[in-house]
Amino acid sequence: MMTKWIASCLLFLFPWCAWAQQAIVKGTITDAVNKEVLTGATISLLGSNNSTVTDVNGEFFIYAGSGTRSLVVRYLGYSDSTITLELKPNETRVLRIGLSSSYARLSSVIVMGLLQGQAKALNQQKNADNIRNVIASDQIGRFPDPNAAEALQRVPGVNIERDQGEGRYVFVRGLAPQFTNVSVNGEQIPSPEADVRFVALDAIPADQLASIEVSKSLTPDMDGDAVGGSVNLITRTAQSKKPRINASLAGGYNQLMRATNIQGQLQYAQRLGNKEKLGVLFNSSYYHNDLGSDNIERSPQDNEVELRDYSLTRTRLGLSSTIDYRFNPRHEVYLRALYSRFTDREWRRRYVFKPEDEEIEKLTKDRFEAQSITTINLGAKHNFNSFFLNYEAQFSNGRQNTPYDNEIGFIAGIPSVLGFKNPKYPSITADDFTDNKAYELDEAGFGHTLAKDRNITAKFDLGIPYKLNNNSGLIKVGAKLRRKEKSYSITQDYYEAIADVPTLDAFEEGPIKSSFLGGRYELGKPLSVGSFINYFNANPAAFASSPEDKAIDEALEAYDAEEHVVAAYAMARQQFNKLMVLGGVRYERTKVSYHSKDVVIDGAGDLQEIVPVTGSSSYDFLLPQASVRYQLSKFTNLRAAATFSYARPNFSEIIPSQEINQEDNIATAGNAALKPVKAFNLDLLGEHYFGNVGVLSGGFFYKRLNDFIYRRVLFNSPYPLAGTPYLNSIDVVQAQNGNQANVTGFEFAFQNNLSFLPGALKYFSLYVNYTYAHSAATLQSRTADAAKPNTTEKLRLPGQATHVGNISLAFERKKFNARVSFNFNGEYLSEVGATSEEDVFVKDRLQADISAGYAFNAHWRLFAEVLNITNQPFERYMATKDQLIQREYYRQWGRFGVKFDW
Amino acid sequence: MTRSWLCFVLLLLLAAACDKENDDLVKPLSADEFPQVIVLDDEGDGGLEDEDAFSFKLTLLDRADATGAAPAGKITPLKEAVTVNFKVTGFKGFNKLSDYIKDAKAFYEIDDCTTSEDAGIKIPLQFDVNTGLGSVQFPAGVEEVEVEFEVDDALFDDDVFNTKKRELTIQLTGTAGNNVAVQANKTADFTYSVQDDEAIYGEWELDSKDAAAFTRFKTLFGLVSEDIKGLTAADVKKITFEVEYGEIKVVVKLKATEVVNECGSAETKNKEIEIETEIEELADDELEGDIEFGEVLELGKGKFAEFVYKGSFKITGKQLTLELKGELEDEETDDIMLTLEK
Repeated sequence: MMTKWIASCLLFLFPWCAWAQQAIVKGTITDAVNKEVLTGATISLLGSNNSTVTDVNGEFFIYAGSGTRSLVVRYLGYSDSTITLELKPNETRVLRIGLSSSYARLSSVIVMGLLQGQAKALNQQKNADNIRNVIASDQIGRFPDPNAAEALQRVPGVNIERDQGEGRYVFVRGLAPQFTNVSVNGEQIPSPEADVRFVALDAIPADQLASIEVSKSLTPDMDGDAVGGSVNLITRTAQSKKPRINASLAGGYNQLMRATNIQGQLQYAQRLGNKEKLGVLFNSSYYHNDLGSDNIERSPQDNEVELRDYSLTRTRLGLSSTIDYRFNPRHEVYLRALYSRFTDREWRRRYVFKPEDEEIEKLTKDRFEAQSITTINLGAKHNFNSFFLNYEAQFSNGRQNTPYDNEIGFIAGIPSVLGFKNPKYPSITADDFTDNKAYELDEAGFGHTLAKDRNITAKFDLGIPYKLNNNSGLIKVGAKLRRKEKSYSITQDYYEAIADVPTLDAFEEGPIKSSFLGGRYELGKPLSVGSFINYFNANPAAFASSPEDKAIDEALEAYDAEEHVVAAYAMARQQFNKLMVLGGVRYERTKVSYHSKDVVIDGAGDLQEIVPVTGSSSYDFLLPQASVRYQLSKFTNLRAAATFSYARPNFSEIIPSQEINQEDNIATAGNAALKPVKAFNLDLLGEHYFGNVGVLSGGFFYKRLNDFIYRRVLFNSPYPLAGTPYLNSIDVVQAQNGNQANVTGFEFAFQNNLSFLPGALKYFSLYVNYTYAHSAATLQSRTADAAKPNTTEKLRLPGQATHVGNISLAFERKKFNARVSFNFNGEYLSEVGATSEEDVFVKDRLQADISAGYAFNAHWRLFAEVLNITNQPFERYMATKDQLIQREYYRQWGRFGVKFDW
Repeated sequence: MTRSWLCFVLLLLLAAACDKENDDLVKPLSADEFPQVIVLDDEGDGGLEDEDAFSFKLTLLDRADATGAAPAGKITPLKEAVTVNFKVTGFKGFNKLSDYIKDAKAFYEIDDCTTSEDAGIKIPLQFDVNTGLGSVQFPAGVEEVEVEFEVDDALFDDDVFNTKKRELTIQLTGTAGNNVAVQANKTADFTYSVQDDEAIYGEWELDSKDAAAFTRFKTLFGLVSEDIKGLTAADVKKITFEVEYGEIKVVVKLKATEVVNECGSAETKNKEIEIETEIEELADDELEGDIEFGEVLELGKGKFAEFVYKGSFKITGKQLTLELKGELEDEETDDIMLTLEK
């Protein structure tokens, strides 16, 4: 209703905007030699300020008046091309334009397709209305990045959080993952994880994607819940009548596990029919990887050290398909589907040395987790004489199923002495701690969890071109409805021995690795979880379950939530000679409701009661957005954007479940009234593109975050916080709003071919980017107490790294290319402790990777890559750098394979 | 078109063929598959040497309550009766089991006032006093069954301080018919100890008419009981200190009375103030040594606090001398001496 009203107003206010008698020019821009589509090419109507840009499929459409018209096509690295057309009123002219490269090297290395990828990305970036970075599929293949997160780490201002050495979460401009939304084909996807909104991008294979866009400033037609940025993953579409088959097969080796891995991909794409109306594309990929890590952790407060030996089997399955049908040049429908399934089976074997208790625990975990994401987009595009209309329905489903999470704990009464003279490798003295005969069963836990998140979305965009004097413009309105259902269920059983269960040696198996942390520590023989469970199944009467612990765990974490979002926008894009102005407003309303449970623990530490609770909240945002782009020259742009956005709280923070522990006099409580974080974002960017496919850019950004969410302690509070209290004084920990945070920074990027250098050096190219960010968040001071609860302190935003960057040097000549890449993630605050002495930081990490390729011909090529060649550990420290609390090593891993393109 | 579908099918087959991730997995019994487990209710008990009976209880392990009414779990009674085998073994302080155990019977509580025996329900039980082997039926619909042994009360009753153990052990040996759905815990055991009434066990009385002793008693135990703190000697009829298996009870019998309605019959009784504690440390085979006992005290409004009494004891004939210090959170008493008589 609102959208109709806005559209009516706009049409009334701009009666001159509708162009009667105008024609439409539609077409595809390709490389004249290899017929690859060119994404991001500019198509301008000569003598006017009317222009457009080709999409990811190299397609464009532009409104033009009837009569003789000239189109100018520009594409970085290619010669400009001018086409003169005689257009009739209401005609739709379809063109297929082939451009020739102006850059000799681009032609000479065409068989590798690498520079073409760079050109696609830079053309899109250059012609985008907002501040955006693009990674094209050809570019993804340049770096040895198997998943979408790792591909994104090469983008300026993006750093990633790793799990077991593989990229997982994306931080844009130093803001934590919940400040960045992730979309597939332009629509947000749900998170398979239970308590968060953000998506673990290691679930999505990079080779399923046509391109990845990172928008650092918003336009009104984009979702407003993106403070750091918006990541859009775009799947592939069939381009030509000629069948295209791409395949790759690779094998690899993990040095730590001394195990092989395998990866394969197969894609088929073709446009069918005489007029190529029907396009079909199927793409599948599979990756099986055996990996592991050697980890040592320390808890300074408890004077404990853990040795953790991980081994994992991960698989990544990707299936995607696009089927589109073009009724005629003006109207088309499409169905895009993506299914990804990421599985992770983890065996974690650990010792926990507890000198204060004179105990050593030996725990073994066997857990399987499957994350799947399914998205189906069904939509249509209609180009009418005086407006265009796009609409789409999307179903997406995120699911994380952990069918088993088994952990068996044994314990031995062995004293130990820990020494931290060498903080990197603490000394551990404990007599015969690897003797499994000393370990008796402590507890066995068997768990199963299922998290589900489903989105159903419907949206439309209506565009009305107009002309103001001789300047073309576009009014665009649209609306969206999204219904989200998210739930989490957990089954957890704990068992203790009520009889003499054999000691650990009865269940041991042979060592998994030949050495641990370079042979510095001896781990002895690990427990075979399967062997123990066989004993458990055969002797259940030797065990007692703990229904109380089960009830607490299951009630505390489980929930159901629904979220309804209604959004509408109106915007206008106006070109004034070299200046493009885009402005508008977006309205979003969110209504959320939840069902969960309170858990009350009495003063003796026993479960008192479990109480079902419900909660709901709703909030509205009106988000003005403005972007300008000024074209200083053909290759140089100045950009500025001032935008408002927000970030919804994580579900775990708003669900009104509570745990009241009267024994410890502390309660944790969800806050259904928690407001989203509001943000004002200011961006300035200057960019200069090089004709030989390169860019130099630098920019400044500033973000002001209001209602910043943090964990606050309400000292000596009555409980519950609302209604009649039944406890007069308890410390309540709750996520609350109220504080402000600022992020300021600048970023710099350079990439170009060093063709100006002499001799063989001219075959090198350099890719460098660097981002500096500074943040300050005002929080309730950790020194606050009941006497002075409002004392504040300033902190860095968790997840914000001051320095992030990439350097990559590539050599590319004829059939051979090689690249060495360095990715630097600066240190960042990872966890805010109860005191500043307990703040946890992730240390700087510099990862070096090398890759190389050789193309036999246009169809076959070999590739090889080695990752983490310097064996960089993941390290965390508490408060000071010499107090290391975690060091995790992965060693090197690599792949060697063959790619086929036909 | 055919080719594209063929290709699609091949891709799916490829994916399915590769999708193996649960090698070597052994699934544990789920909570639903986990059998009902019959266990001994306690690890042990004890009785003075002139007791003529002792008993042990069989019960079922708690299970999660699917209805949610008992979130911490509860006993789910059996749907069908099961016969449980047991044996009496490991006896010390005597040579022949039949010298001590004379007979056995089994019963269960129907309510606080009625047992199955009262209701004329006979629980099948067999026990061979020569071999120590026995079996008892665990009926359907009940939460626990008690097996009571009639014993010779004169066998150990003497006037000598005994330092050697006199005890026996009971173990479950299984269920009849190898019932998979109901199993018995076979390795836990229950030890019955004969307690020497020449040692610290038994009831000791404080002379409440001794004003100084009464004041010391109030100072010591008034720490954890407002009722005791507010007493006057005139209120008190008797103060006892009862040492039993694993616990110590301080009982103040008041002169004031109340009508107590128990199992349908009203009876006038003296009011009592009782402090029940668990023994943390006690050298029960010595006539003097260290003693420590305590408990968690409910302070109201959901607050709890642990209290402990530590010190020493000394037995001289029929007299017990205690020197104790009480601690409750930040409060503590001085070392206070009490003298009690048996």
